[in-house]
Amino acid sequence: MSEVTGAFAGRAGGLQAPLWRAIAVFRIAALVYVTILVVRNVGEYERPVLAWPVLALTAAWTVVTTYAYADPTRRRPPLLVADLVITMGVMTASIWVVGRAALEAGRPTLAVAWHVAPVIAWAVAGGRRGGIIAALAMGATDLVVRAHYDQAAFTGTVLMLLAALAVGYMVRLVEVAQAKLEHAVQLEAATRERERLARDIHDSVLQVLALVKRRGAGLDGEAGELARLAGEQEAALRALVTSRTAPAVADGAEADLMALLGRYASSTVSIASPAAAVRLPARVAAEVAAAVGAALDNVAKHCAPGTKVWVLVEDEPGDVTVSVRDDGCGIPPARLDEAAAQGRLGVAQSIRGRITDLGGTVEIASAPGEGTEVELTVPRGPIS
Amino acid sequence: MVVDDHPMWREGVSRDLAAAGYDVVAVTGEGRQAIRIAAAARPDVVVLDLQLPDVTGVEAILGLLEAVPGIRVLMLSASGEQQDVLDAVKAGATGYLLKSAGLTEFLEAVARTAAGDTVFTPGLAGLVLGEFRRLAVEQPAADDGGAPKLTERETEVLRLVAKGLSYRQIAERLVLSHRTVQNHVQNTLGKLQLHNRVELTRYAIERGLD
Repeated sequence: MSEVTGAFAGRAGGLQAPLWRAIAVFRIAALVYVTILVVRNVGEYERPVLAWPVLALTAAWTVVTTYAYADPTRRRPPLLVADLVITMGVMTASIWVVGRAALEAGRPTLAVAWHVAPVIAWAVAGGRRGGIIAALAMGATDLVVRAHYDQAAFTGTVLMLLAALAVGYMVRLVEVAQAKLEHAVQLEAATRERERLARDIHDSVLQVLALVKRRGAGLDGEAGELARLAGEQEAALRALVTSRTAPAVADGAEADLMALLGRYASSTVSIASPAAAVRLPARVAAEVAAAVGAALDNVAKHCAPGTKVWVLVEDEPGDVTVSVRDDGCGIPPARLDEAAAQGRLGVAQSIRGRITDLGGTVEIASAPGEGTEVELTVPRGPIS
Repeated sequence: MVVDDHPMWREGVSRDLAAAGYDVVAVTGEGRQAIRIAAAARPDVVVLDLQLPDVTGVEAILGLLEAVPGIRVLMLSASGEQQDVLDAVKAGATGYLLKSAGLTEFLEAVARTAAGDTVFTPGLAGLVLGEFRRLAVEQPAADDGGAPKLTERETEVLRLVAKGLSYRQIAERLVLSHRTVQNHVQNTLGKLQLHNRVELTRYAIERGLD
Protein backbone atom coordinates (compact mmCIF):
# COMPACT_ATOMS: atom_id res chain seq x y z
CA MET A 1 0.00 0.00 0.00
CA SER A 2 2.58 2.50 1.11
CA GLU A 3 4.55 1.76 -2.03
CA VAL A 4 1.61 2.62 -4.15
CA THR A 5 1.01 5.83 -2.25
CA GLY A 6 4.70 6.62 -2.47
CA ALA A 7 4.76 6.15 -6.19
CA PHE A 8 1.90 8.56 -6.54
CA ALA A 9 3.27 11.09 -4.13
CA GLY A 10 6.30 11.06 -6.43
CA ARG A 11 3.98 11.82 -9.29
CA ALA A 12 2.25 14.48 -7.21
CA GLY A 13 4.55 16.59 -9.22
CA GLY A 14 3.19 14.25 -11.87
CA LEU A 15 0.13 16.28 -12.59
CA GLN A 16 1.79 19.66 -11.79
CA ALA A 17 4.98 19.08 -13.76
CA PRO A 18 3.47 20.24 -17.08
CA LEU A 19 2.54 23.55 -15.46
CA TRP A 20 6.10 24.15 -14.32
CA ARG A 21 7.39 23.29 -17.77
CA ALA A 22 4.91 25.74 -19.25
CA ILE A 23 6.22 28.47 -16.95
CA ALA A 24 9.78 27.75 -18.07
CA VAL A 25 8.77 27.93 -21.72
CA PHE A 26 6.91 31.19 -21.10
CA ARG A 27 9.97 32.66 -19.35
CA ILE A 28 12.28 31.74 -22.22
CA ALA A 29 9.87 33.19 -24.79
CA ALA A 30 9.56 36.36 -22.69
CA LEU A 31 13.36 36.58 -22.51
CA VAL A 32 13.55 36.53 -26.30
CA TYR A 33 10.96 39.32 -26.42
CA VAL A 34 12.86 41.37 -23.83
CA THR A 35 16.09 40.93 -25.79
CA ILE A 36 14.45 42.13 -29.00
CA LEU A 37 13.02 45.18 -27.25
CA VAL A 38 16.36 46.04 -25.63
CA VAL A 39 18.17 45.74 -28.95
CA ARG A 40 15.64 48.01 -30.66
CA ASN A 41 15.32 50.59 -27.89
CA VAL A 42 18.83 50.67 -26.46
CA GLY A 43 19.57 53.92 -28.33
CA GLU A 44 16.96 55.82 -26.37
CA TYR A 45 18.06 54.49 -22.94
CA GLU A 46 19.58 56.88 -20.40
CA ARG A 47 22.45 54.49 -19.57
CA PRO A 48 22.64 52.03 -22.50
CA VAL A 49 25.82 50.36 -21.21
CA LEU A 50 24.04 49.09 -18.10
CA ALA A 51 21.32 47.43 -20.21
CA TRP A 52 23.58 44.49 -21.15
CA PRO A 53 24.50 43.33 -17.60
CA VAL A 54 20.83 43.53 -16.64
CA LEU A 55 19.87 41.52 -19.72
CA ALA A 56 22.58 38.99 -18.85
CA LEU A 57 21.14 38.68 -15.34
CA THR A 58 17.67 38.16 -16.83
CA ALA A 59 18.99 35.39 -19.06
CA ALA A 60 20.95 33.79 -16.22
CA TRP A 61 17.93 33.80 -13.91
CA THR A 62 15.81 32.28 -16.68
CA VAL A 63 18.26 29.40 -16.90
CA VAL A 64 18.48 28.99 -13.11
CA THR A 65 14.71 28.92 -12.60
CA THR A 66 14.16 26.56 -15.52
CA TYR A 67 16.36 23.97 -13.82
CA ALA A 68 15.41 24.79 -10.23
CA TYR A 69 11.65 24.58 -10.73
CA ALA A 70 12.06 21.29 -12.57
CA ASP A 71 13.03 19.75 -9.22
CA PRO A 72 9.88 19.34 -7.05
CA THR A 73 11.89 19.58 -3.81
CA ARG A 74 13.06 23.11 -4.68
CA ARG A 75 9.62 24.57 -5.37
CA ARG A 76 9.64 26.14 -1.95
CA PRO A 77 9.43 29.64 -0.45
CA PRO A 78 13.18 30.47 -0.67
CA LEU A 79 13.24 29.99 -4.44
CA LEU A 80 9.83 31.60 -4.95
CA VAL A 81 10.76 34.69 -2.92
CA ALA A 82 14.10 34.95 -4.70
CA ASP A 83 12.30 34.67 -8.02
CA LEU A 84 9.93 37.49 -7.13
CA VAL A 85 12.64 39.76 -5.66
CA ILE A 86 15.08 39.30 -8.53
CA THR A 87 12.36 39.95 -11.10
CA MET A 88 11.29 43.07 -9.21
CA GLY A 89 14.96 44.08 -9.08
CA VAL A 90 15.36 43.77 -12.84
CA MET A 91 12.21 45.81 -13.29
CA THR A 92 13.32 48.47 -10.83
CA ALA A 93 16.70 48.68 -12.57
CA SER A 94 14.79 50.06 -15.55
CA ILE A 95 14.49 53.40 -13.68
CA TRP A 96 18.24 53.93 -13.99
CA VAL A 97 18.91 52.08 -17.22
CA VAL A 98 15.99 53.19 -19.33
CA GLY A 99 15.53 56.45 -17.48
CA ARG A 100 12.46 58.26 -16.24
CA ALA A 101 11.97 60.24 -19.40
CA ALA A 102 11.95 57.23 -21.73
CA LEU A 103 9.69 55.25 -19.37
CA GLU A 104 7.23 58.08 -19.23
CA ALA A 105 7.39 58.28 -23.00
CA GLY A 106 6.02 54.72 -23.02
CA ARG A 107 9.23 52.69 -23.44
CA PRO A 108 8.81 49.21 -21.87
CA THR A 109 10.69 48.13 -18.74
CA LEU A 110 13.59 45.70 -18.94
CA ALA A 111 11.36 42.95 -17.55
CA VAL A 112 8.32 43.42 -19.78
CA ALA A 113 6.25 40.19 -20.05
CA TRP A 114 9.09 38.32 -18.33
CA HIS A 115 7.79 39.65 -15.00
CA VAL A 116 4.59 37.56 -15.26
CA ALA A 117 6.51 34.28 -14.90
CA PRO A 118 7.13 34.49 -11.11
CA VAL A 119 3.48 35.46 -10.57
CA ILE A 120 2.33 32.30 -12.33
CA ALA A 121 4.93 30.30 -10.39
CA TRP A 122 3.48 31.63 -7.14
CA ALA A 123 -0.02 30.76 -8.28
CA VAL A 124 1.03 27.19 -9.10
CA ALA A 125 2.92 26.75 -5.83
CA GLY A 126 0.60 28.67 -3.52
CA GLY A 127 -2.78 28.50 -5.18
CA ARG A 128 -5.02 31.52 -5.67
CA ARG A 129 -3.79 33.29 -2.56
CA GLY A 130 -0.12 32.99 -3.54
CA GLY A 131 -0.96 34.13 -7.04
CA ILE A 132 -2.82 37.22 -5.82
CA ILE A 133 -0.03 38.26 -3.45
CA ALA A 134 2.61 37.94 -6.16
CA ALA A 135 0.42 39.67 -8.76
CA LEU A 136 -0.26 42.63 -6.46
CA ALA A 137 3.42 42.99 -5.53
CA MET A 138 4.55 42.75 -9.13
CA GLY A 139 1.78 44.99 -10.39
CA ALA A 140 2.64 47.69 -7.83
CA THR A 141 6.32 47.54 -8.76
CA ASP A 142 5.42 47.81 -12.44
CA LEU A 143 3.25 50.89 -11.86
CA VAL A 144 5.84 52.59 -9.64
CA VAL A 145 8.65 51.93 -12.11
CA ARG A 146 6.72 53.14 -15.09
CA ALA A 147 5.20 56.07 -13.18
CA HIS A 148 2.72 56.05 -15.97
CA TYR A 149 -0.75 55.66 -14.57
CA ASP A 150 -2.90 55.30 -17.67
CA GLN A 151 -5.51 52.70 -18.51
CA ALA A 152 -3.09 50.41 -20.34
CA ALA A 153 -0.82 50.22 -17.28
CA PHE A 154 -3.68 49.21 -15.02
CA THR A 155 -4.99 46.72 -17.58
CA GLY A 156 -1.61 44.96 -17.51
CA THR A 157 -1.81 44.52 -13.75
CA VAL A 158 -5.43 43.41 -13.82
CA LEU A 159 -4.67 40.85 -16.53
CA MET A 160 -1.82 39.52 -14.42
CA LEU A 161 -4.12 39.28 -11.42
CA LEU A 162 -6.75 37.39 -13.42
CA ALA A 163 -4.15 35.01 -14.83
CA ALA A 164 -2.89 34.32 -11.29
CA LEU A 165 -6.44 33.64 -10.11
CA ALA A 166 -7.19 31.31 -12.98
CA VAL A 167 -3.97 29.37 -12.59
CA GLY A 168 -4.39 29.15 -8.83
CA TYR A 169 -7.88 27.78 -9.26
CA MET A 170 -6.74 25.27 -11.84
CA VAL A 171 -3.97 24.07 -9.56
CA ARG A 172 -6.49 23.46 -6.83
CA LEU A 173 -8.57 21.38 -9.25
CA VAL A 174 -5.50 19.39 -10.18
CA GLU A 175 -4.83 18.71 -6.52
CA VAL A 176 -8.37 17.49 -5.92
CA ALA A 177 -8.26 15.29 -9.00
CA GLN A 178 -4.98 13.87 -7.86
CA ALA A 179 -6.22 13.13 -4.35
CA LYS A 180 -9.20 11.32 -5.86
CA LEU A 181 -6.98 9.35 -8.17
CA GLU A 182 -4.71 8.32 -5.31
CA HIS A 183 -7.68 7.27 -3.24
CA ALA A 184 -9.11 5.23 -6.09
CA VAL A 185 -5.78 3.54 -6.69
CA GLN A 186 -5.43 2.69 -3.01
CA LEU A 187 -8.92 1.30 -2.89
CA GLU A 188 -8.36 -0.78 -5.96
CA ALA A 189 -5.08 -2.13 -4.64
CA ALA A 190 -6.73 -3.03 -1.34
CA THR A 191 -9.63 -4.75 -3.07
CA ARG A 192 -7.38 -6.67 -5.36
CA GLU A 193 -5.16 -7.76 -2.52
CA ARG A 194 -8.20 -8.87 -0.59
CA GLU A 195 -9.51 -10.85 -3.54
CA ARG A 196 -6.15 -12.50 -3.99
CA LEU A 197 -6.04 -13.48 -0.31
CA ALA A 198 -9.61 -14.74 -0.47
CA ARG A 199 -8.76 -16.90 -3.47
CA ASP A 200 -5.66 -18.32 -1.81
CA ILE A 201 -7.47 -19.03 1.43
CA HIS A 202 -10.33 -20.56 -0.46
CA ASP A 203 -8.10 -22.84 -2.47
CA SER A 204 -6.08 -24.08 0.44
CA VAL A 205 -6.84 -23.46 4.08
CA LEU A 206 -10.61 -23.45 3.82
CA GLN A 207 -10.77 -26.75 1.96
CA VAL A 208 -8.46 -28.51 4.37
CA LEU A 209 -10.24 -27.18 7.46
CA ALA A 210 -13.59 -28.30 6.07
CA LEU A 211 -12.11 -31.70 5.33
CA VAL A 212 -10.63 -32.05 8.83
CA LYS A 213 -13.97 -31.15 10.33
CA ARG A 214 -15.76 -33.67 8.17
CA ARG A 215 -13.41 -36.59 8.64
CA GLY A 216 -13.13 -36.06 12.36
CA ALA A 217 -16.79 -35.44 13.01
CA GLY A 218 -17.53 -39.06 13.87
CA LEU A 219 -14.51 -39.57 16.14
CA ASP A 220 -14.61 -39.48 19.90
CA GLY A 221 -12.39 -37.66 22.35
CA GLU A 222 -9.61 -35.37 21.32
CA ALA A 223 -9.85 -36.08 17.60
CA GLY A 224 -13.51 -35.13 17.60
CA GLU A 225 -12.70 -31.99 19.56
CA LEU A 226 -10.00 -31.06 17.04
CA ALA A 227 -12.47 -31.56 14.21
CA ARG A 228 -14.97 -29.33 15.95
CA LEU A 229 -12.35 -26.61 16.42
CA ALA A 230 -11.35 -26.90 12.77
CA GLY A 231 -15.02 -26.48 11.89
CA GLU A 232 -15.29 -23.30 13.92
CA GLN A 233 -12.20 -21.84 12.32
CA GLU A 234 -13.47 -22.80 8.90
CA ALA A 235 -16.71 -20.92 9.48
CA ALA A 236 -14.92 -17.86 10.81
CA LEU A 237 -12.51 -17.82 7.90
CA ARG A 238 -15.28 -18.33 5.38
CA ALA A 239 -17.16 -15.38 6.82
CA LEU A 240 -13.97 -13.33 6.56
CA VAL A 241 -13.20 -14.09 2.92
CA THR A 242 -16.75 -13.78 1.67
CA SER A 243 -17.86 -10.81 3.75
CA ARG A 244 -18.53 -7.80 1.60
CA THR A 245 -16.44 -4.71 1.79
CA ALA A 246 -18.49 -1.88 3.20
CA PRO A 247 -19.34 0.34 0.23
CA ALA A 248 -19.80 3.36 2.46
CA VAL A 249 -17.09 5.16 0.53
CA ALA A 250 -18.98 4.95 -2.72
CA ASP A 251 -22.14 6.33 -1.34
CA GLY A 252 -21.80 8.19 1.88
CA ALA A 253 -25.12 8.03 3.65
CA GLU A 254 -25.97 4.41 2.90
CA ALA A 255 -24.45 1.19 4.14
CA ASP A 256 -24.81 -2.45 3.21
CA LEU A 257 -26.52 -4.16 6.13
CA MET A 258 -24.93 -7.44 5.09
CA ALA A 259 -21.44 -6.04 5.46
CA LEU A 260 -22.30 -5.33 9.08
CA LEU A 261 -24.06 -8.63 9.76
CA GLY A 262 -21.39 -10.72 8.04
CA ARG A 263 -19.17 -10.73 11.10
CA TYR A 264 -21.79 -12.59 13.15
CA ALA A 265 -21.60 -15.69 10.92
CA SER A 266 -19.99 -18.67 12.66
CA SER A 267 -20.25 -22.42 12.87
CA THR A 268 -23.50 -22.01 14.79
CA VAL A 269 -24.89 -18.86 13.20
CA SER A 270 -25.97 -19.09 9.55
CA ILE A 271 -26.99 -15.99 7.67
CA ALA A 272 -29.37 -16.01 4.70
CA SER A 273 -29.84 -12.92 2.57
CA PRO A 274 -30.40 -11.72 -0.99
CA ALA A 275 -27.34 -11.79 -3.25
CA ALA A 276 -27.27 -8.04 -3.66
CA ALA A 277 -26.33 -5.48 -1.03
CA VAL A 278 -29.10 -4.58 1.41
CA ARG A 279 -28.88 -0.81 1.42
CA LEU A 280 -30.07 1.18 4.39
CA PRO A 281 -29.14 4.59 5.72
CA ALA A 282 -25.87 4.01 7.62
CA ARG A 283 -27.38 4.83 11.02
CA VAL A 284 -30.34 2.49 10.50
CA ALA A 285 -28.06 -0.32 9.32
CA ALA A 286 -25.84 0.11 12.38
CA GLU A 287 -28.82 0.03 14.75
CA VAL A 288 -30.31 -3.06 13.09
CA ALA A 289 -26.94 -4.82 13.22
CA ALA A 290 -26.63 -3.93 16.90
CA ALA A 291 -30.13 -5.29 17.60
CA VAL A 292 -29.25 -8.53 15.82
CA GLY A 293 -26.06 -8.67 17.89
CA ALA A 294 -28.13 -8.27 21.05
CA ALA A 295 -30.45 -11.08 19.98
CA LEU A 296 -27.46 -13.34 19.30
CA ASP A 297 -25.90 -12.45 22.66
CA ASN A 298 -29.15 -13.38 24.25
CA VAL A 299 -29.08 -16.80 22.62
CA ALA A 300 -25.48 -17.33 23.74
CA LYS A 301 -26.36 -16.31 27.29
CA HIS A 302 -29.52 -18.29 27.83
CA CYS A 303 -29.20 -21.34 25.62
CA ALA A 304 -26.96 -24.37 25.71
CA PRO A 305 -23.63 -24.04 23.89
CA GLY A 306 -23.87 -25.16 20.28
CA THR A 307 -27.41 -23.85 19.89
CA LYS A 308 -27.89 -23.06 16.23
CA VAL A 309 -29.10 -19.70 15.06
CA TRP A 310 -30.44 -18.72 11.66
CA VAL A 311 -30.54 -15.12 10.56
CA LEU A 312 -32.69 -14.25 7.55
CA VAL A 313 -32.53 -10.84 5.93
CA GLU A 314 -35.33 -9.90 3.54
CA ASP A 315 -35.07 -6.81 1.44
CA GLU A 316 -38.48 -5.57 0.37
CA PRO A 317 -39.34 -2.33 -1.42
CA GLY A 318 -40.89 -0.73 1.65
CA ASP A 319 -38.97 -2.25 4.51
CA VAL A 320 -36.25 -4.63 5.59
CA THR A 321 -37.04 -7.62 7.78
CA VAL A 322 -34.46 -9.49 9.80
CA SER A 323 -35.44 -12.71 11.54
CA VAL A 324 -33.25 -14.33 14.16
CA ARG A 325 -34.34 -17.85 15.00
CA ASP A 326 -32.66 -20.31 17.33
CA ASP A 327 -33.38 -23.95 18.11
CA GLY A 328 -32.61 -23.46 21.77
CA CYS A 329 -34.60 -23.73 24.94
CA GLY A 330 -37.16 -21.05 24.18
CA ILE A 331 -38.58 -18.45 26.50
CA PRO A 332 -41.71 -19.10 28.57
CA PRO A 333 -44.32 -16.60 27.37
CA ALA A 334 -44.56 -14.78 30.68
CA ARG A 335 -40.81 -14.48 30.99
CA LEU A 336 -40.32 -11.37 28.86
CA ASP A 337 -43.09 -9.40 30.49
CA GLU A 338 -41.82 -10.50 33.86
CA ALA A 339 -38.32 -9.29 33.08
CA ALA A 340 -39.65 -5.97 31.89
CA ALA A 341 -41.79 -5.63 34.99
CA GLN A 342 -38.75 -6.27 37.15
CA GLY A 343 -36.98 -3.47 35.40
CA ARG A 344 -34.54 -5.83 33.68
CA LEU A 345 -34.64 -4.51 30.21
CA GLY A 346 -32.02 -6.66 28.48
CA VAL A 347 -33.85 -7.88 25.40
CA ALA A 348 -36.59 -5.31 25.56
CA GLN A 349 -34.29 -2.35 25.76
CA SER A 350 -31.61 -3.26 23.29
CA ILE A 351 -33.83 -4.80 20.66
CA ARG A 352 -37.22 -3.19 21.01
CA GLY A 353 -35.78 0.20 21.92
CA ARG A 354 -33.46 0.37 18.95
CA ILE A 355 -36.01 -0.82 16.43
CA THR A 356 -38.92 1.28 17.68
CA ASP A 357 -36.67 4.34 17.52
CA LEU A 358 -36.26 3.61 13.83
CA GLY A 359 -40.02 3.42 13.36
CA GLY A 360 -39.89 -0.36 13.08
CA THR A 361 -41.59 -3.25 14.81
CA VAL A 362 -40.35 -6.25 16.79
CA GLU A 363 -42.11 -9.56 17.15
CA ILE A 364 -40.85 -12.19 19.53
CA ALA A 365 -42.32 -15.67 19.22
CA SER A 366 -41.23 -18.42 21.50
CA ALA A 367 -42.32 -21.52 23.28
CA PRO A 368 -40.38 -23.63 25.76
CA GLY A 369 -38.36 -26.28 23.93
CA GLU A 370 -39.08 -24.81 20.51
CA GLY A 371 -36.54 -22.06 20.35
CA THR A 372 -37.16 -18.38 19.90
CA GLU A 373 -37.78 -16.27 16.86
CA VAL A 374 -37.23 -12.54 16.87
CA GLU A 375 -38.44 -10.67 13.83
CA LEU A 376 -37.32 -7.09 13.30
CA THR A 377 -38.90 -4.94 10.61
CA VAL A 378 -37.63 -1.46 9.83
CA PRO A 379 -39.05 0.90 7.22
CA ARG A 380 -36.69 1.78 4.43
CA GLY A 381 -37.86 5.32 3.93
CA PRO A 382 -37.41 8.24 6.29
CA ILE A 383 -39.48 8.10 9.46
CA SER A 384 -42.55 10.24 9.00
CA MET B 1 -19.37 -38.50 -10.50
CA VAL B 2 -17.24 -36.15 -8.43
CA VAL B 3 -15.80 -32.89 -9.80
CA ASP B 4 -13.52 -30.98 -7.47
CA ASP B 5 -10.16 -29.37 -8.09
CA HIS B 6 -8.93 -30.09 -4.60
CA PRO B 7 -7.34 -33.59 -4.66
CA MET B 8 -7.96 -34.32 -0.97
CA TRP B 9 -11.61 -33.40 -1.28
CA ARG B 10 -12.05 -35.33 -4.49
CA GLU B 11 -10.67 -38.41 -2.82
CA GLY B 12 -12.55 -37.94 0.44
CA VAL B 13 -15.89 -37.38 -1.24
CA SER B 14 -15.45 -40.36 -3.58
CA ARG B 15 -14.49 -42.58 -0.66
CA ASP B 16 -17.51 -41.48 1.38
CA LEU B 17 -19.83 -42.05 -1.55
CA ALA B 18 -18.37 -45.48 -2.27
CA ALA B 19 -18.64 -46.42 1.41
CA ALA B 20 -22.29 -45.38 1.37
CA GLY B 21 -22.93 -47.74 -1.51
CA TYR B 22 -22.81 -45.35 -4.46
CA ASP B 23 -21.06 -46.21 -7.67
CA VAL B 24 -18.59 -43.42 -8.40
CA VAL B 25 -18.22 -43.60 -12.17
CA ALA B 26 -15.78 -40.75 -12.68
CA VAL B 27 -13.61 -38.32 -10.76
CA THR B 28 -12.02 -35.19 -12.18
CA GLY B 29 -10.71 -31.79 -11.19
CA GLU B 30 -11.56 -29.83 -14.33
CA GLY B 31 -14.85 -28.59 -15.71
CA ARG B 32 -14.30 -29.17 -19.44
CA GLN B 33 -13.00 -32.64 -18.79
CA ALA B 34 -15.98 -33.27 -16.53
CA ILE B 35 -18.39 -32.38 -19.34
CA ARG B 36 -16.59 -34.71 -21.77
CA ILE B 37 -16.46 -37.56 -19.28
CA ALA B 38 -20.08 -37.09 -18.25
CA ALA B 39 -21.20 -37.46 -21.87
CA ALA B 40 -19.59 -40.90 -21.92
CA ALA B 41 -20.05 -42.10 -18.34
CA ARG B 42 -23.62 -40.75 -18.03
CA PRO B 43 -23.75 -40.38 -14.24
CA ASP B 44 -27.07 -39.81 -12.45
CA VAL B 45 -25.67 -37.30 -10.02
CA VAL B 46 -22.71 -34.94 -10.25
CA VAL B 47 -21.20 -33.59 -7.05
CA LEU B 48 -19.72 -30.38 -8.38
CA ASP B 49 -17.36 -27.96 -6.73
CA LEU B 50 -18.51 -24.48 -7.73
CA GLN B 51 -14.99 -23.12 -8.06
CA LEU B 52 -13.17 -24.92 -10.83
CA PRO B 53 -9.92 -23.80 -12.41
CA ASP B 54 -11.03 -23.75 -16.05
CA VAL B 55 -14.74 -22.87 -16.24
CA THR B 56 -17.25 -21.04 -14.07
CA GLY B 57 -19.83 -22.97 -12.13
CA VAL B 58 -22.55 -21.81 -14.52
CA GLU B 59 -20.60 -22.96 -17.59
CA ALA B 60 -19.95 -26.33 -15.98
CA ILE B 61 -23.62 -26.82 -15.13
CA LEU B 62 -24.88 -25.74 -18.56
CA GLY B 63 -22.30 -28.02 -20.19
CA LEU B 64 -23.26 -30.98 -18.03
CA LEU B 65 -26.98 -30.48 -18.66
CA GLU B 66 -26.34 -30.29 -22.38
CA ALA B 67 -24.17 -33.41 -22.37
CA VAL B 68 -26.57 -35.43 -20.22
CA PRO B 69 -30.10 -33.96 -20.19
CA GLY B 70 -31.77 -34.64 -16.87
CA ILE B 71 -28.51 -35.01 -15.00
CA ARG B 72 -28.74 -33.85 -11.38
CA VAL B 73 -26.14 -31.49 -10.06
CA LEU B 74 -25.39 -31.08 -6.36
CA MET B 75 -23.10 -28.12 -5.84
CA LEU B 76 -20.52 -28.02 -3.14
CA SER B 77 -18.74 -24.84 -2.28
CA ALA B 78 -16.21 -23.93 0.36
CA SER B 79 -16.93 -20.24 0.46
CA GLY B 80 -20.57 -19.82 -0.49
CA GLU B 81 -20.03 -16.78 -2.71
CA GLN B 82 -23.62 -15.69 -2.94
CA GLN B 83 -23.95 -14.52 -6.51
CA ASP B 84 -22.11 -17.59 -7.79
CA VAL B 85 -24.42 -19.90 -5.91
CA LEU B 86 -27.50 -18.09 -7.15
CA ASP B 87 -26.29 -18.12 -10.74
CA ALA B 88 -25.53 -21.83 -10.52
CA VAL B 89 -29.01 -22.60 -9.20
CA LYS B 90 -30.58 -20.51 -11.94
CA ALA B 91 -28.48 -22.37 -14.50
CA GLY B 92 -30.00 -25.65 -13.38
CA ALA B 93 -28.26 -27.07 -10.32
CA THR B 94 -30.82 -28.66 -8.05
CA GLY B 95 -28.92 -28.75 -4.81
CA TYR B 96 -26.40 -26.80 -2.86
CA LEU B 97 -24.36 -27.60 0.19
CA LEU B 98 -21.50 -25.87 1.95
CA LYS B 99 -18.39 -27.97 2.29
CA SER B 100 -18.62 -27.48 6.02
CA ALA B 101 -21.71 -29.70 6.12
CA GLY B 102 -21.33 -32.92 8.02
CA LEU B 103 -20.98 -36.34 6.39
CA THR B 104 -24.53 -37.47 7.17
CA GLU B 105 -25.89 -34.20 5.87
CA PHE B 106 -23.86 -34.66 2.71
CA LEU B 107 -24.99 -38.23 2.11
CA GLU B 108 -28.59 -37.26 2.70
CA ALA B 109 -28.21 -34.44 0.20
CA VAL B 110 -26.80 -36.83 -2.39
CA ALA B 111 -29.64 -39.25 -1.81
CA ARG B 112 -32.22 -36.50 -2.20
CA THR B 113 -30.54 -35.11 -5.29
CA ALA B 114 -30.51 -38.58 -6.81
CA ALA B 115 -34.23 -38.92 -6.07
CA GLY B 116 -34.87 -35.71 -7.98
CA ASP B 117 -35.50 -33.56 -4.93
CA THR B 118 -34.00 -30.16 -4.37
CA VAL B 119 -31.49 -29.59 -1.63
CA PHE B 120 -31.69 -26.13 -0.12
CA THR B 121 -29.56 -24.63 2.60
CA PRO B 122 -31.12 -21.77 4.57
CA GLY B 123 -28.62 -19.50 2.83
CA LEU B 124 -29.78 -20.61 -0.60
CA ALA B 125 -33.44 -20.16 0.38
CA GLY B 126 -32.59 -16.58 1.40
CA LEU B 127 -30.89 -16.02 -1.95
CA VAL B 128 -33.83 -17.39 -3.92
CA LEU B 129 -36.30 -15.30 -1.92
CA GLY B 130 -34.17 -12.24 -2.58
CA GLU B 131 -34.00 -13.06 -6.28
CA PHE B 132 -37.78 -13.29 -6.62
CA ARG B 133 -38.15 -9.97 -4.83
CA ARG B 134 -35.54 -8.40 -7.07
CA LEU B 135 -37.31 -9.68 -10.19
CA ALA B 136 -40.63 -8.41 -8.89
CA VAL B 137 -39.19 -4.94 -8.33
CA GLU B 138 -37.20 -4.74 -11.52
CA GLN B 139 -39.93 -5.94 -13.86
CA PRO B 140 -43.10 -4.74 -12.25
CA ALA B 141 -46.23 -6.34 -13.69
CA ALA B 142 -44.37 -7.22 -16.82
CA ASP B 143 -45.92 -6.74 -20.22
CA ASP B 144 -45.51 -10.37 -21.19
CA GLY B 145 -46.07 -11.89 -17.79
CA GLY B 146 -42.28 -11.69 -17.46
CA ALA B 147 -41.36 -11.79 -13.80
CA PRO B 148 -42.08 -15.09 -12.09
CA LYS B 149 -44.00 -14.83 -8.86
CA LEU B 150 -44.17 -17.06 -5.83
CA THR B 151 -47.50 -18.02 -4.38
CA GLU B 152 -48.09 -17.00 -0.79
CA ARG B 153 -47.59 -20.56 0.35
CA GLU B 154 -44.34 -20.91 -1.54
CA THR B 155 -43.03 -17.71 -0.02
CA GLU B 156 -44.04 -18.93 3.41
CA VAL B 157 -42.29 -22.25 2.96
CA LEU B 158 -39.17 -20.63 1.54
CA ARG B 159 -38.98 -18.20 4.44
CA LEU B 160 -39.15 -21.05 6.91
CA VAL B 161 -36.42 -22.94 5.04
CA ALA B 162 -34.30 -19.79 5.19
CA LYS B 163 -34.91 -19.62 8.91
CA GLY B 164 -33.37 -23.04 9.30
CA LEU B 165 -36.45 -25.20 9.80
CA SER B 166 -36.31 -28.72 8.46
CA TYR B 167 -38.96 -29.88 5.99
CA ARG B 168 -40.44 -31.96 8.78
CA GLN B 169 -40.72 -28.94 11.07
CA ILE B 170 -42.22 -26.85 8.29
CA ALA B 171 -44.75 -29.56 7.54
CA GLU B 172 -45.75 -29.61 11.20
CA ARG B 173 -46.01 -25.89 11.50
CA LEU B 174 -48.04 -25.36 8.35
CA VAL B 175 -49.98 -28.60 8.70
CA LEU B 176 -48.87 -29.94 5.37
CA SER B 177 -47.38 -33.22 4.30
CA HIS B 178 -43.61 -33.53 4.02
CA ARG B 179 -44.07 -34.19 0.32
CA THR B 180 -46.04 -30.99 -0.20
CA VAL B 181 -43.35 -28.92 1.47
CA GLN B 182 -40.78 -30.56 -0.77
CA ASN B 183 -42.92 -29.78 -3.83
CA HIS B 184 -43.28 -26.15 -2.88
CA VAL B 185 -39.52 -25.75 -2.58
CA GLN B 186 -39.00 -27.52 -5.86
CA ASN B 187 -41.54 -25.30 -7.58
CA THR B 188 -39.76 -22.13 -6.49
CA LEU B 189 -36.58 -23.40 -8.05
CA GLY B 190 -38.40 -24.56 -11.17
CA LYS B 191 -39.89 -21.09 -11.69
CA LEU B 192 -36.53 -19.45 -11.30
CA GLN B 193 -34.84 -21.82 -13.75
CA LEU B 194 -37.63 -21.48 -16.27
CA HIS B 195 -37.46 -17.72 -16.04
CA ASN B 196 -33.72 -17.90 -16.53
CA ARG B 197 -34.09 -20.01 -19.66
CA VAL B 198 -36.71 -17.63 -21.05
CA GLU B 199 -34.41 -14.69 -20.35
CA LEU B 200 -31.49 -16.43 -22.05
CA THR B 201 -33.58 -17.24 -25.08
CA ARG B 202 -34.93 -13.71 -25.31
CA TYR B 203 -31.41 -12.38 -25.01
CA ALA B 204 -30.23 -14.73 -27.74
CA ILE B 205 -33.09 -13.69 -30.03
CA GLU B 206 -32.46 -10.01 -29.43
CA ARG B 207 -28.78 -10.45 -30.22
CA GLY B 208 -29.59 -12.60 -33.23
CA LEU B 209 -32.01 -10.04 -34.67
CA ASP B 210 -29.57 -7.17 -34.38
